[in-house]
Amino acid sequence: MKKFDLIGKDMKRVDTASKATGEALFSGDLILPRMLVGKVLRSPYPHARIISIDTSKAEKLPGVKAVITAKDMSGDKWGVFKYTQDQQFLPTEKVRYVGEEVAAVAAVDEDTALEALSLIDVQYEPLPAVFTVDDALAPNAPLIHDVYPSNINIHVKIDVGDVEKGFSESFLVREDTFTAPEDSYFQGEPYAVAAQFDNAGNLEIWMPNAGPHLKAKPLSNVLKIPLNKVRVRKITIGGAFGGRSEIAPADVICAFLARKAKRPVKIIYTREENTVATRQAHAMVTTIKTGVDKEGHVVARDITCRMDGGAYSSTGPIAVSVPFLCMEQAYRMENIRYNGYRILTNKPIRGMFRTHGRAFACGVDTQLDMLGAELGIDPLTMRLRNARQTGDYTPTKSFVASCGMTETIIRTGEQSGWKEKFGKLPPFHGIGIGTNSVQTGFPMGIRGGSQAFIKLNEDGGITVITGIVDNGQGNDNMIVQIAAEELGISPDDVQLISADTEVTPSDPGSYSMCETFIGGNAVRLAAQDVKMKLFKIAAGEFGVGEDELTARDRKIFVTSNPEKSMNIAKAVRIALSRNESISGEGSYWPNVDAKREWVKNPYGQLSETFSFGTVIVEVKVDPETGQVEVIEAWAAQDVGYALNPKVIEGQFEGGFAMGGQGGMLSEFHQWHEGRVLNPTHLGYMVPLAIDMPKINNIIVETIDPNGPYGAKEAGMSVAMSAAQAYSGAISNAIGVYLKDFPLTPDIILKAIEGKGKREQ
Amino acid sequence: MKKIKGYSITLTVNNENYDLTAEPNRTLLEVLRDDLHLTGTKESCGEGACGSCTVLVDDQPVRSCLTLAVAVEGRHITTIEGLSQGGALHPVQDAFVAHHAIQCGFCSPGMILTAYALLKENPSPTEEEIRRAISGNVCRCTGYAKIVEAIKSLADQGRQER
Repeated sequence: MKKFDLIGKDMKRVDTASKATGEALFSGDLILPRMLVGKVLRSPYPHARIISIDTSKAEKLPGVKAVITAKDMSGDKWGVFKYTQDQQFLPTEKVRYVGEEVAAVAAVDEDTALEALSLIDVQYEPLPAVFTVDDALAPNAPLIHDVYPSNINIHVKIDVGDVEKGFSESFLVREDTFTAPEDSYFQGEPYAVAAQFDNAGNLEIWMPNAGPHLKAKPLSNVLKIPLNKVRVRKITIGGAFGGRSEIAPADVICAFLARKAKRPVKIIYTREENTVATRQAHAMVTTIKTGVDKEGHVVARDITCRMDGGAYSSTGPIAVSVPFLCMEQAYRMENIRYNGYRILTNKPIRGMFRTHGRAFACGVDTQLDMLGAELGIDPLTMRLRNARQTGDYTPTKSFVASCGMTETIIRTGEQSGWKEKFGKLPPFHGIGIGTNSVQTGFPMGIRGGSQAFIKLNEDGGITVITGIVDNGQGNDNMIVQIAAEELGISPDDVQLISADTEVTPSDPGSYSMCETFIGGNAVRLAAQDVKMKLFKIAAGEFGVGEDELTARDRKIFVTSNPEKSMNIAKAVRIALSRNESISGEGSYWPNVDAKREWVKNPYGQLSETFSFGTVIVEVKVDPETGQVEVIEAWAAQDVGYALNPKVIEGQFEGGFAMGGQGGMLSEFHQWHEGRVLNPTHLGYMVPLAIDMPKINNIIVETIDPNGPYGAKEAGMSVAMSAAQAYSGAISNAIGVYLKDFPLTPDIILKAIEGKGKREQ
Repeated sequence: MKKIKGYSITLTVNNENYDLTAEPNRTLLEVLRDDLHLTGTKESCGEGACGSCTVLVDDQPVRSCLTLAVAVEGRHITTIEGLSQGGALHPVQDAFVAHHAIQCGFCSPGMILTAYALLKENPSPTEEEIRRAISGNVCRCTGYAKIVEAIKSLADQGRQER
């Protein structure tokens, strides 16, 4: 008998037919009766004191229904953590970056709203501004916030073992510095919010989000209404990629406009606003010192990373930590020191990003290649010798319950023909490897666990109620797949109510790669709870034990005698007639150390389990133009267990495109005095179909002891490894190790030229 | 601000005629989304670079964000809502669903219409031709592999049918 009917199979996603027909509604598609258009007035200055805001002319413009400024709000400052509460949704005293929200209007149409913005008179006193980490740290630099001396927002310090002793005992030690400018999300869907209040003061609000509950709590705080009046509704979401998890000023502004105008309001961001006024990814400078023994094992490592955080904290403590944590999960090491700083500048706010930390991960991997070259050990072998193993503890004390890192390295190596290629390819033709690891959730306070409910109908169909959100990666399907599998019913029998804070229970949200592991486990437990209740009824009818029953094909039957069966619908009807509860409940709280804290105590179990990945790419570089042609790619990840292999392949391919092709070749922001020069698709080069190589997906399964069916997460370790593979392959092709990313043609040409000069 | 004078136009969208008043600077995208509530057509960049707003005008893919509504009067406009007939998915839509070519779905309407137009003109394109044809449509989720697979599956059918 086959093990599963749906799990592990290529199941068509339940949500994609409506996306193919245009039926699926995104936030910007919503049309509500009497709905107004909301628009935001933004700061033209990178740093300025607000002297006065006069909205009287705007308010008098016919068609304007509400104008709001900081005066309409309490002035409270918000932050993801208690110690990072530094952002007002509309500022009272200062603006801190070009594009910061200053005021907003709601009007009957877009033209009127834009005209109203032009009638708002804001008097500013420009202040000196800082645009780089070095300028922000200079002795007399202007302070962006009074509470952060020297503009140091966050300092994460980790020190394990004896790093100095490790260096003194090393055979070879290197120190290198790696840099990269900001990169960006460029989600397909520009940010949009629609909001309305009813007569009882209940807020209904729709926006792209990576966790509806993460949005609801701060809305409740700032609007001073209880949580049960904040209804963040489910809506189709056009990508998140690590962003959209926090409350955004647009959410709050839209709600305040709707409350003041007493009409629904919708704000749709332009592409430029989505780039400037949601989140960007951090620019960073990483200095890495690594000592290895003769065989290439890392003996000690000391890393200092300075990230440009922009004007506010956002998810700063997490952002400073994650690149380091991914590295310490991926590689074994006993002596390790980390000083991670997030420095504030007068630039847009930076948040967590799917492929966060290219100047960190590529630094670690490039340096490993350089050390290997000096020792005569190839990059793949260097990774095998340092790869994390099952049963290890990471330096910051996370137990690794399952780890397929070595297998991902070996299998990508075999399939790519690494041994036959590395060092044997013609000039300007190279091959490179990258490895990394990600978490399946973090300690998230009371938001750390997920709960799910299941309701049965008398026809045997079910409704699953869960807080899990789908940003496009396929979480809705994952929920349906698990519930249908457990109960032996068809996916068509499952209705889903999810990501709606009025009815769905708490859930951590999708942005820490935890929805499969935590949310999926909760759904599975809820389905098992229902199944046990059904089995109890069937067992009584058949005169057998509950453990002798199986649920499949909408029936419950005696496993040893399938003739003895009843429809699930019948069991439900019996339960209803006996007044027996037939609803199910499940909750999952991951095994993480609640005492672990990003800054104060960065030790203890970070995440219950981790995924591990390897990417290899083969490239040709044109020495005349510096253009890189990627010939082929191999992407492997230990996903625990592949619940839906095609969905996982899609995550590998998408992550590879964003992290590697875009992240290492073309994606970066350019600046002039705090102003983004390339905020739109015309200047910010995301990969196109014609750019992409053939990607060979290699799914590695280690069957995690606690993941649902052994699953962990579906592709982030590939996304986080791809950039390193690109940089390694390009370095290999041109014979120069590169330290400033992304590797654009001008950087590559300069490196080739420099090498030529040195050789003359 | 002075209101611009609107013009009466008749647009043929998905085989239905709509009598509308449109200012000369109003884009086809605005009319489709805001007046006809055909919200399957998406705006992502608003400057003709990303292809999310692609619709067909006489079976040719155009960017509705750069097309003025008054300029397409009398032409045959197809949006994503007009592709499926009688409740069944069009084969291109079906292939996108079956091959997991859709993740977040925001680029999908434009991508599907571009694929439809390609296959109409060239029923059996090579992979290179597919990649070129859809390179005016940005997808941030899929890395394009599954989209190319989906279109290829139809191209292979086209080849068999010839």
